[in-house]
Amino acid sequence: MSLADFFIRYPNRRYLMYGGKGGLGKTTFSAATAYYLAKKGKRVLVFSVDPQASLSDIFERDIFGKGNIEIMENLFACEVDADKRIQDYQEEIRQKIISMYGMKKIPEEIESYIKASSAEPAMEESAIFDAVVDIVVKGDFDYYIYDLVPLGHALYYLSMASVYDAWLEKITSLREQMKEYDKAIATMKREEDTEQDEIYNELMYIKDRIGSSSKIMTDTEKTAFFFVLTPEEMTIVDTEKAAQLFAKYNVPLSGYIVNRVINRELLKDNIPTYLRNRIGMQAGALEMIDQTFGSSVLSSVPEFDSEIKGLDVIRNLAEVMFEEKLP
Amino acid sequence: MEEKKKEKKRKKSGGVIGFVRDFTYGMATHGMARHALKQRSSMEHLFILITMGDMLGIPILPPYYSLRLLPHVVPQITTWKRRMLREKDFMDSMY
Repeated sequence: MSLADFFIRYPNRRYLMYGGKGGLGKTTFSAATAYYLAKKGKRVLVFSVDPQASLSDIFERDIFGKGNIEIMENLFACEVDADKRIQDYQEEIRQKIISMYGMKKIPEEIESYIKASSAEPAMEESAIFDAVVDIVVKGDFDYYIYDLVPLGHALYYLSMASVYDAWLEKITSLREQMKEYDKAIATMKREEDTEQDEIYNELMYIKDRIGSSSKIMTDTEKTAFFFVLTPEEMTIVDTEKAAQLFAKYNVPLSGYIVNRVINRELLKDNIPTYLRNRIGMQAGALEMIDQTFGSSVLSSVPEFDSEIKGLDVIRNLAEVMFEEKLP
Repeated sequence: MEEKKKEKKRKKSGGVIGFVRDFTYGMATHGMARHALKQRSSMEHLFILITMGDMLGIPILPPYYSLRLLPHVVPQITTWKRRMLREKDFMDSMY
């Protein structure tokens, strides 16, 4: 199966993700896929939550923290500014406290807690995944291409999500128990029934958010996760390990794309030993890829002689990726 | 407005019946209600401990989401901290 066939065969897979080690071409493939689908008349949003996002570079437009920017017809790109999102969110909480209790100023210990929260290790991941839910929930695009943060982040979040889920279950039931007490007290004192438990509602909301953010990554009906790798032994081993971990969390692995393959035809020419050796090394690695991943390899993309930047080069890449044209 | 009306109504129905009702409440259920209230506030403190634990250095919930709960527990924070940081073992007082 080729990558083009994949999209024909699974039209419901609307959330696309490219994963892999840093610098292997996740962003370029995200951009090329977005270009390809947009040209087919689909509305596509390609987005990134990486603070060092490179969508701005690849599309040669400054889009960081500016919302959905139209790159060309049907193709939109978005880079989320996680830091700013955290700050806005903290401000929102402050305002809520002030208006709820009619305070002039946040009490000091509460303020220091709010401030300290942005330094917590899980804060950024949570904020990022919450931002993703916001983007995806709107649902006004045919395809969402998620230029994923490095693998570790995603795995960490997925494992957190399952722990939090169990944990939320427990505190929700504690909250329910408290509600029972409230009711009992109200009856004993012959008072009206107690008011709505706001905290309980918040817990339900949090549960829903954590659930939907991990569902985006694990929905076997709607999500496709592609691994990017290069023909190098170390990358292959790492990718295989990562794939096993992802499979554990039920991420729907949909295939592998090999990047930076040097054209073997070059061997016919008089080329320097350096290049000859590299081609030899790649030949071994490609064989290993074939043995390890076999027919799950959907596309094999050659090494380009220029940097992939700007729509013209992206178009070339998309043609090679999806139609197997030579560059 | 609504509540004031109700309160008035309750006061009006005072008299003998009201007295008898309050009296029986005091005799029979006041103790129970007090106990239940105490139990309820222990649970409240336990709840804050698990959600806002990082204020005392025990992080549990991801901070992004515990911030959402923060506004609702602001009034209880001070008493909660005092209680948790008392020298005596707080588990003793919990149940």
